[in-house]
Amino acid sequence: MTVALALPTRRVEEWKYSDLARALGDVGFGDDSAEVLAGPVPAGVEVFALDEPNRPDWVKAHYGKLSANVVSAISLAKARGGIALRIPKGKIIEDPVTLDFAGKGHVRALLVLEEGAALTLFERCDAAETRNAGLEIVVAPNARLDHVRISPVSGVVQVEEVSITLARDAFYHGHFANFGARLSRIELAITLDGEGAEAHLSGVSVLSGDAHADVTTHVTHAVGRTLSTQLFKKVVGGNGQAVYQGKVTVAHGADGADSRQTAKALLLGMRAEADLKPELEIFADDVKCAHGAAVGDLDSDSLFYLRARGIPEKEARHLLIHAFLEDALTDVTNADLREQVRGAVSTALDQVAT
Amino acid sequence: MLDIKNLHVTVAGKEILRGLNLRVDAGQVHAIMGPNGSGKSTLSYVLAGRAGYEITEGSMTYNGENLAALPPEQRAAKGVFLAMQYPVEIPGVTTMMFLKSALNAQRRGRGESEMDAIGILKTVRKKAAALNISEDMLKRALNVGFSGGEKKRLEILQMSLFEPKLAILDETDSGLDIDALRLVAEGVNSLRAPERAMLVITHYQRLLDYIVPDRIHVLANGRIVAEGGKELALELEAKGYEQIVKDAA
Ligand SMILES: Nc1ncnc2c1ncn2[C@@H]1O[C@H](COP(=O)(O)OP(=O)(O)OP(=O)(O)O)[C@@H](O)[C@H]1O
Ligand SMILES: [Mg+2]
Repeated sequence: MTVALALPTRRVEEWKYSDLARALGDVGFGDDSAEVLAGPVPAGVEVFALDEPNRPDWVKAHYGKLSANVVSAISLAKARGGIALRIPKGKIIEDPVTLDFAGKGHVRALLVLEEGAALTLFERCDAAETRNAGLEIVVAPNARLDHVRISPVSGVVQVEEVSITLARDAFYHGHFANFGARLSRIELAITLDGEGAEAHLSGVSVLSGDAHADVTTHVTHAVGRTLSTQLFKKVVGGNGQAVYQGKVTVAHGADGADSRQTAKALLLGMRAEADLKPELEIFADDVKCAHGAAVGDLDSDSLFYLRARGIPEKEARHLLIHAFLEDALTDVTNADLREQVRGAVSTALDQVAT
Repeated sequence: MLDIKNLHVTVAGKEILRGLNLRVDAGQVHAIMGPNGSGKSTLSYVLAGRAGYEITEGSMTYNGENLAALPPEQRAAKGVFLAMQYPVEIPGVTTMMFLKSALNAQRRGRGESEMDAIGILKTVRKKAAALNISEDMLKRALNVGFSGGEKKRLEILQMSLFEPKLAILDETDSGLDIDALRLVAEGVNSLRAPERAMLVITHYQRLLDYIVPDRIHVLANGRIVAEGGKELALELEAKGYEQIVKDAA
């Protein structure tokens, strides 16, 4: 069987703001396999290296099963390695487990949280090489996943698709801190597949120079009585480009679904760009959906107020930029990870000419 | 301390202040009254250094220094404080953290050492209690969701914390209930000192019962049109601005 593995062009609507073919150039993604390491793995958590033979049943049951976008289909076809993690039924893991993505090429990961399990996942990405990662996450009834991803500033192409399915009363909380790359894209495809399931997404981007960062989300409320929230904040300086495309689909019969999405960008340069595109697709009745997007500059009244209280202009601008990001930052539940995100944000802000 | 001579100020292409003269000496409290739209807030903003206010003629000198040449933060560090008619809401910055940043920024601006966080916290708590400002308000985002009166009390808390040399109060009494008015007036009076001057903008004679001014100025059409002692407020109350402006003409 041959699979069409052509890269999307900008003529494909979802890739309009991220010219992948051009960013990759003639070499494309290539055929290499990148790697991913998990650590520390607590007792009771099952780890399986995807390049090993004899996949256990839970891997067979879930690997490559969730819907994949075209780029994720490529990683599925080409990646020779990767990792699968299983958090067994009822297992609650307090300390974050880290996934480190490194190297060049394609890589896959699978995370299965069985019924009532709980985990905090911290995802880090080495910035040096072009990478296409595909991550599948299965959250069984009553399980809970807190997910934090930090992608540092990078000069290459870094693309990741995260596909998540949430069963009855499952809870997912994801935060995505993205500092841009030649082309950086995180795509989240989330299906709320059982009543009582919740997905909460937030993220911050701080971009300078020529950095590009695209967050594309597609949340599907497949059944009713499900909740999704999204809060994405972007600070863009220099020639930076921030993209947010957020589509929420409420399926036929998913009555009582509740969805909110907010995306805001602060442009700090004449050539900075933000493309914010929230979108709703509703096939059900009696749903609560709200979305909003705003692109702007720092508020001059606020700036004057702070300066009139003795705070010098540069410091006042910094304070207001941090304030702009604050609600998205406090959304990170784990205190240590929140501090890591804050640190990365401060470092990135130092690079933005304010 | 403050000497304003023939000040002309244009906002968005429109001349708002049209030859204003005003002198306030150290140790004095002056009041400015005047009809809506006469230019009172414009005067206070131009003294504090808000952008968009163009001085086309005249001068404003503060302790011998040309105020117009200083950015707002330096004016603040040198002791100019404006309690604003409409304090700004800033989500994402807690009130306490703002007070700390502002106080230390002013100290740095004067070349003084910063105050430690605990010291500031203690001082703020004490002063806040005197103004009936709760701990909870200090933890909330700056002015966000504060009632009109709470915002005004927070302005006075800042004044008492920063201990300015020249305090300009733009309608700080508007929106205050009677108890809050008394608290605010006590706050102002406790700062009266020989080295400090105050400019109190108000529409109400009532405030001037509590904060007795040395001098009252009436601002109309961008100029001071009448001046007098504290009895002028009573006369204004009785006659209204129209008559006073006519009498002065
Ligand atoms: N940014 C602006 N653009 C245009 N006109 C302005 C601007 N700011 C102020 N003005 C005008 O300047 C005039 C004076 O306004 P100002 O706020 O100084 O009045 P005020 O004396 O403080 O009035 P009040 O008693 O209502 O507070 C008003 O006519 C107002 O509409
Ligand atoms: Mg006014």
